[in-house]
Amino acid sequence: MGLLMPNPIQQNKNQIEVQKDLPWSVLVLDDPVNLMDYVTMVLKRVFGYDEQRANALMMEVHTRGRSVVWTGAREKAEFYVQQLHSWQLKSTMEKAS
Amino acid sequence: MNVIPTLEGGLVIQLETEADWMVLETIWTDIGRPAHLAESLADLMDEESDWEEWVVPDLEEHFNHQSQFIQAAVEHARDNNKKAVFIKRQDGEKWYGAINQARLALEARYGFKGAEDFENAPAELRSAHFRDRFYLQLQSLLLEYVIDR
Repeated sequence: MGLLMPNPIQQNKNQIEVQKDLPWSVLVLDDPVNLMDYVTMVLKRVFGYDEQRANALMMEVHTRGRSVVWTGAREKAEFYVQQLHSWQLKSTMEKAS
Repeated sequence: MNVIPTLEGGLVIQLETEADWMVLETIWTDIGRPAHLAESLADLMDEESDWEEWVVPDLEEHFNHQSQFIQAAVEHARDNNKKAVFIKRQDGEKWYGAINQARLALEARYGFKGAEDFENAPAELRSAHFRDRFYLQLQSLLLEYVIDR
């Protein structure tokens, strides 16, 4: 029976590895200043989205207060948030659920 | 004051009175300290990201550049007794960014959202609201005629 139990240390290590590999989400938050057309333009420029997708994400920000606009590796997510900040959009990142 | 699109894809702001110049000059006074915006955006990140150390200085420099650029353009026009300030197509984003900084700073300071009755508001708030609306009009024109979307 003991042989079937995972080694606690190994299990812990695996959990950490899994956590590290979790993708990160880039979020854009609503604010009362940035214009809707401007937000759409920024999403097109930063992520290369087409008009339809960028507009849908912008509308989600507007109606729900936030939108996950991209999900992927942590370093790239940080790069994208930095870009969004330089365009003065409120944005942040979090581990994707 | 008139704001008119140019044939080269820019805008020209025609200034007729001293008050017109003053309105333009309030853009960078409303911005205040561009570092404040960079820091407030960093507040959205968790502390582990070291955003303050790695990103804020670059953002601050970027925002400062926008603010200083439009200040120089307006002061140059005024010092040379021009009656207009030209916004070239290639400078549209810098103008938009600086004006956006001013609007974000005004919103942070006065919190216009939810306030409706500006007619009976204190003079300072009324004036800030007027400037915000003017900046908004300028931004709309920049988006419509100048910035490549």
